[in-house]
Amino acid sequence: MAEEIQKKMQKELEVLGSIQKEFRKAVAQKQQLDSQLNENKAVKEELLLLKKDAEVYKLIGPVLVKQDLEEATQNVTKRMEYISKEIKRADDHISALENKQEALQENLTKLKNNLNKIKAKA
Amino acid sequence: MATVSSAPAPGMHQIDLSKLNLQQLAQLKQQLDQEMSVFQDSLHTLKVAQGKFMESGECVEKMTPECKGKSILVPLTGSMYIPGSIADTENVLIDIGTGYYAQKDIAGAKDYFKRKVAFVTEQMEKIKALGVEKSKVHKAICMMIEMKLQAQMQAAKPSTS
Repeated sequence: MAEEIQKKMQKELEVLGSIQKEFRKAVAQKQQLDSQLNENKAVKEELLLLKKDAEVYKLIGPVLVKQDLEEATQNVTKRMEYISKEIKRADDHISALENKQEALQENLTKLKNNLNKIKAKA
Repeated sequence: MATVSSAPAPGMHQIDLSKLNLQQLAQLKQQLDQEMSVFQDSLHTLKVAQGKFMESGECVEKMTPECKGKSILVPLTGSMYIPGSIADTENVLIDIGTGYYAQKDIAGAKDYFKRKVAFVTEQMEKIKALGVEKSKVHKAICMMIEMKLQAQMQAAKPSTS
């Protein structure tokens, strides 16, 4: 009986480890998205500050390609929307992982208590 | 270029340090150490960014109308230059992030760099304030650990006095 529980605990611990790993990865990803969103925000502010006839270029590979200011602003806005959606997705993912972690931890404590009880009896 | 919010994170609550045991205190201390090193890193990165913006700002200052037609050496690669001459002293192209470059006149460029330097400096101030806060907590935790250790030692040999 005790061995069975121990085996179960081992398994649960492994699952917990992999979820924690995934969790850290998700958090890092979210941070990256956050910084991208911030950069885009700064760019949009800058584009809005420009005069209507100002020339805007986009770096594509090693060359600068002239862009329409209107188009560039729209592009950045679209990208911001996309990143915001991605951030929301990442947030959901993170909270789901958090819940999973909590459930697993609870399970583990229960198993541990059971094990201790059995050991105390033996 | 992340903005730093100085508002406390949601879910943060006050903990009475004296109620924690040594292990918890040590864990907390380690966590704070980590956070403080993150702040140091960010501060360093911001310092570098600030330096770059300042340098660019100074370069723009040197672009006067008298520079027109003057010859310069243009770097083609890091180690190869070709002679060229300045054709336009009124306008500069500025990298505004995410691959976009905007043409600005000298006054606009000066203003841009001034704003950027101000922005970065502001972020640095915020991080510094946060760092001071953290180091205060860090000190408090260290003191608490010391006190707990001493109390433990006293308890271990009660009959020495």
